[in-house]
Amino acid sequence: MRWALDSEQEMFADAFGDLLDRAASADKVRRWLDDGDPSPFERLLADDGWLAVGVGEDAGGQGGGLLELALTAEQLARRAAPSSAWTSTVLALPALDPERSEAAISNGTFAAIVASANDPFDDPAGALAVSEVGGALTGSVRLVLGGDRAQLLLVPVGSRLFLIESSAPGVSIRPRALLDRSRSAADIEFDGARATRLEGDAPAILADAALRAAVLVAADSLGAATRLRELAVEYSKQRTQFGAPIGSFQAMKHAAATMLVDEEASRSLVYYAAESVDRNLAEAPLHAAAAKAQVTAAGSRAAESSLTMHGAIGYTWEHDLQLLYKRAKLDVALFGDPSRWNERIATALELVPAD
Amino acid sequence: MEFELSEDQALIRDAVTDVATRFDDDYWMHHDLEKTFPTEFYNAMADGGWLGITTPEEYGGHGFGITEASILIQAVAESGGGMNAASAIHLSIFGMHPVIVHGSDAMKQRDLPRIVNGDLHVCFGVTEPEAGLDTTRITTFATLDGDHYVVNGKKVWISKAMESEKILLLTRTAKFEDSPKKTDGLTLFFTNLDREHIDVRPIKKMGRNAVSSNELFIDDLRIPVEDRIGDEGKGFKYILDGLNPERMLVAAEALGLGRAALRRAVQYGKDRHVFGRPIGMNQGIQFPLAESLARLDAAELMLRKATWLYDNGKPCAREANMAKYLCADAGFEAADRALQVHGGMGYSEEYHVARYFRESRLLRIAPLSQEMVLNYIGEHVLGLPRSY
Repeated sequence: MRWALDSEQEMFADAFGDLLDRAASADKVRRWLDDGDPSPFERLLADDGWLAVGVGEDAGGQGGGLLELALTAEQLARRAAPSSAWTSTVLALPALDPERSEAAISNGTFAAIVASANDPFDDPAGALAVSEVGGALTGSVRLVLGGDRAQLLLVPVGSRLFLIESSAPGVSIRPRALLDRSRSAADIEFDGARATRLEGDAPAILADAALRAAVLVAADSLGAATRLRELAVEYSKQRTQFGAPIGSFQAMKHAAATMLVDEEASRSLVYYAAESVDRNLAEAPLHAAAAKAQVTAAGSRAAESSLTMHGAIGYTWEHDLQLLYKRAKLDVALFGDPSRWNERIATALELVPAD
Repeated sequence: MEFELSEDQALIRDAVTDVATRFDDDYWMHHDLEKTFPTEFYNAMADGGWLGITTPEEYGGHGFGITEASILIQAVAESGGGMNAASAIHLSIFGMHPVIVHGSDAMKQRDLPRIVNGDLHVCFGVTEPEAGLDTTRITTFATLDGDHYVVNGKKVWISKAMESEKILLLTRTAKFEDSPKKTDGLTLFFTNLDREHIDVRPIKKMGRNAVSSNELFIDDLRIPVEDRIGDEGKGFKYILDGLNPERMLVAAEALGLGRAALRRAVQYGKDRHVFGRPIGMNQGIQFPLAESLARLDAAELMLRKATWLYDNGKPCAREANMAKYLCADAGFEAADRALQVHGGMGYSEEYHVARYFRESRLLRIAPLSQEMVLNYIGEHVLGLPRSY
């Protein structure tokens, strides 16, 4: 079997990358992060139609699937571009009916599923603690990724799903700052807020969103790792010590080579998992879990290795490494750390024989 | 704080090294490949009086502590003898601890001087195929019949049973389900390894092949009551005393083996030239060796602390377990890297590091796996719930 991006997918990634080179240059990204206001960039993504990627034409999209979204995530992460509004929206859109999806895309409306970014859209300890009485929601959920950026909120209540605007009465949003300033989250509280019931089975929708989130966060980590490796290699060619570029030292070469090996393995995992989840293969949950666990762990190693190769300069605020470093570190924890996803794999392996 | 070896300790290290280095790497390679017991080495150690290093003086020994025993066994392993050398004498130098502490005077008078002078080879018969590390689950059973016990059962991984005259044998005299506590009902014997009633079958294995590891099939073995150690039903307690020293000795063996491997790797790094310069000039080779030395040195400090605590009568389980863990990992890592440094040559027996590699791998499994050490630390040191 040979599996590779086709020419359309490559063109797509290149085109989006070119756009970002112009629209999300390092100084612009820094300005958005310093201001704590990513809205200029978010507007651009919405107005240029990037929310339509990965959504079927019947639901107002322009086609493509999770693989195209993974390529998008990778490109965003390479530049540490603010992306929680985009991520939460592409995870939420499949839960909307075609009309609402089309409206959200054409109006450039951002959305979020109200679930904690600590978990893979499951409810280990009553984290999804919202209840509904007569169409009114009450309860609170902590750390919703993009919860501060979304205009539409999708709220799971048991097996049902509700839709509510974030500006509706009875909804309060408390933004939470993350160490990685290129993403943001919010605690969301409902106090008798009137919401609209959506069709669909919430647990199934959340389970699917979890797999998509795993792939997209893995792709994000891959993008960050790629850039971290590029920066390290560039620096090791420029910087001289003991009369030689530090890149001529074997320990540096081997560190860079190890990063590239990790990166290539990660790329294979991410793209394959994206395709597998999109095609709903029987083993898609395992592929997504492997991607989340392996790729984000590798991204974290790449961050450490790149920092080591840079020495103290990489530790400074001025250097872009810090942006990518934090990006890779958040990707480890986002929607469940590797141990959570490894646990899913372990459970599926039937390590203990059935009685 | 004092880090220097005492005069006695330095003397022990140097004198043992002197004896052990008379047996070179080829000696060990041949004994390993031919699966023959290193009798000449064993006799040399006995002649030097080293087998009795911890045995009380009244039975012909030196009465030293576990610190001195660990220095001795490390020197033996480090000489290049590795686990073949260490296992040949391991049980003689500390395995008789239950006999010394709990055995009858008659037993001690009868057996200990012969162990010290090397005449009496001994082995340790605890583990069983169905029990693994869950020692209280052993089922080899001893039934009292007049002035004898009649024993039936199976043992596995009994080192040196082929070469041994006597065995320290753990049995059950009350079934697990009939015992008020699971550690009750176990009884320890020190008795003849009677070939008429014990079938000893060597296990084909990966390394340390100069000393056998065996399965024992025990069929109506008759043991005189006077060969029982201490009281009936208290055997588990008697062997428990020896577990921490056992871990420390094994740690010392792993450490010595790691140093032997590192020594060869460094020498090869200097001698071997590729691309017109010694391969040790490559950071990819130099750094792992430097790191291994750092890890071996750090592990040694933990071992020294553990043996010091034990010899001073202080609790040492935490340190003994950690020493085993750290030394086994550092030793294996050094051996693995030594093999890597040698490239294809490392895979041949001729350069000896393949033998070190096989032997050092054993110490991450025996006498208990690294994972069981972590279980101990997790449960008994950190206070986390028992995980198994």
